[in-house]
Amino acid sequence: MSGLADTIEATLREEPLQFAELVDRHRAVAWRDFLHGWGELREKDILKRDDIGRYYIPGGKAEAIAAETRAV
Amino acid sequence: MAKKAFRDFLHDLETAGEIQRLAKAVDPRDLSGLAAQTDKAVLFEEIEGYPGWRVATALLSSRRRLAIVLDCAEDRIAQEFETRSARAIAPDIVGNAPCQEVVMEGDEVDLAALPFPLMHVHDGGPYISGTFVVSRDAEYGRNAGSYRMMYRNKRETGIDLVSPSDMRFYYQRMLDRGEPLPIAVAVGVHPFEMLAASYKAPIAADELELAGGLHGAPVPMVKCRTVDLEVPADSEIVLEGEILPIGWTADEGPFGEFSQISGDVKWNPVFRVNCITHRRDPIFYLLQMPWENDWLSAPVTEAAGLQALRVASVEPVAIRAPVGSCGYWTLIASIRKRPGEGKNALLALLSVAEVKLAIVTDDDIDINNPDDIDWALTFRVQADQDLITLSGARGKHVDPSIRAWEMGQGGLPLTAKLGIDATIPEGIPKWLYKRIETYGKDRVRLEDYL
Repeated sequence: MSGLADTIEATLREEPLQFAELVDRHRAVAWRDFLHGWGELREKDILKRDDIGRYYIPGGKAEAIAAETRAV
Repeated sequence: MAKKAFRDFLHDLETAGEIQRLAKAVDPRDLSGLAAQTDKAVLFEEIEGYPGWRVATALLSSRRRLAIVLDCAEDRIAQEFETRSARAIAPDIVGNAPCQEVVMEGDEVDLAALPFPLMHVHDGGPYISGTFVVSRDAEYGRNAGSYRMMYRNKRETGIDLVSPSDMRFYYQRMLDRGEPLPIAVAVGVHPFEMLAASYKAPIAADELELAGGLHGAPVPMVKCRTVDLEVPADSEIVLEGEILPIGWTADEGPFGEFSQISGDVKWNPVFRVNCITHRRDPIFYLLQMPWENDWLSAPVTEAAGLQALRVASVEPVAIRAPVGSCGYWTLIASIRKRPGEGKNALLALLSVAEVKLAIVTDDDIDINNPDDIDWALTFRVQADQDLITLSGARGKHVDPSIRAWEMGQGGLPLTAKLGIDATIPEGIPKWLYKRIETYGKDRVRLEDYL
């Protein structure tokens, strides 16, 4: 995986994020490069969604945070 | 009459002073944010990281611009759509097509080469929102519809198939056999193609013939390079591929829905792209949600309402699918009523697609004036006699009140419907509704006393 995909993966193990929040953290990356990095992570098939649509990766802090958040 | 292309419509908008050109380079992440700050349609002439590409958006975000498409007055849109759609003109097959000037196949395929926009705060990813999707079934023939697509990776998008549609039915038939459904996705087609794709035509009807009728000329179609399908030759961009036989298993959304709501995560199939073709100088179409979708829905819903009333032998005078109901869920009609026809009209209007509220008035009510409708509802309706409710009709997932999440993945929700007969009740003389008229208004002039 590219360095960008690794970075996104590490972030989503730490905390669940909306896609737009993830984009905001990588505004300095050219859009096409960001899409490639995101696509690499998608292909790993490890992404999960919580009740409010945030992305996270199980096995870290993010999973616990996501589990605490329930749509009301 | 020559058939118009997407670019011709941009020219029509420019002539009417309805489009704003932005010459400065724009990041695809900022396209929606900029377009939302103007009432005009927008043509972005330079896209950062995408040399040679342009992006057009908000082309149909008002009733006025829809009237420009149909070349009619704003209050004649439904009637004009109905007249044009009554004639079917078969498409032509052509050999060379602008949409195939550039071809990416095999390992060259890279969806990130398209300026996929990020449209809304809660979207699950970047989206193509303005698609014209062609598919074919061995028994029922060709179908065209519009389905949003969320970027997943270089070769794949999510595709929204949660709602009932002919293509969902085609996909289900292929899924039952464990096979993918080949599709071709055109982006940047004339609004007549988009209107035809929105139309709830009978399953055996060809939306391309309807589009030809709307144009008054055949739609030129070109054979795709990798699937046995045809697409409008004058499209800007075409994606060829297949919907994988995995059922409703992949996360998709949320997306800013045409219901004006952010929506939630859906479970949908995946579209795998095997070939991308486009013009040498492509214009990507960003269909602005919800307004363009709503204004595309309105004439289609209104025309279906007019047809339903005529089938029920009721004479319509005017009809409106208000944008507050997203041009989809509510129909308000005025009729020349004979006894009992207020109720007949309601039954007809409630049979249209997922319309869940229908209001019928007499022809003395201006249904484009909300105050006039309120007046009719107040003085011509008795709640124990003039309301019709129906349960268990076909619903649509994006309406939160029907609790679609309880259906499970791939489930189809149901809805209740309400009809309000706001015509003068049988047995009440019309003269009791005679409006106040000011004495002397036509005899004296205020200016003479100033």
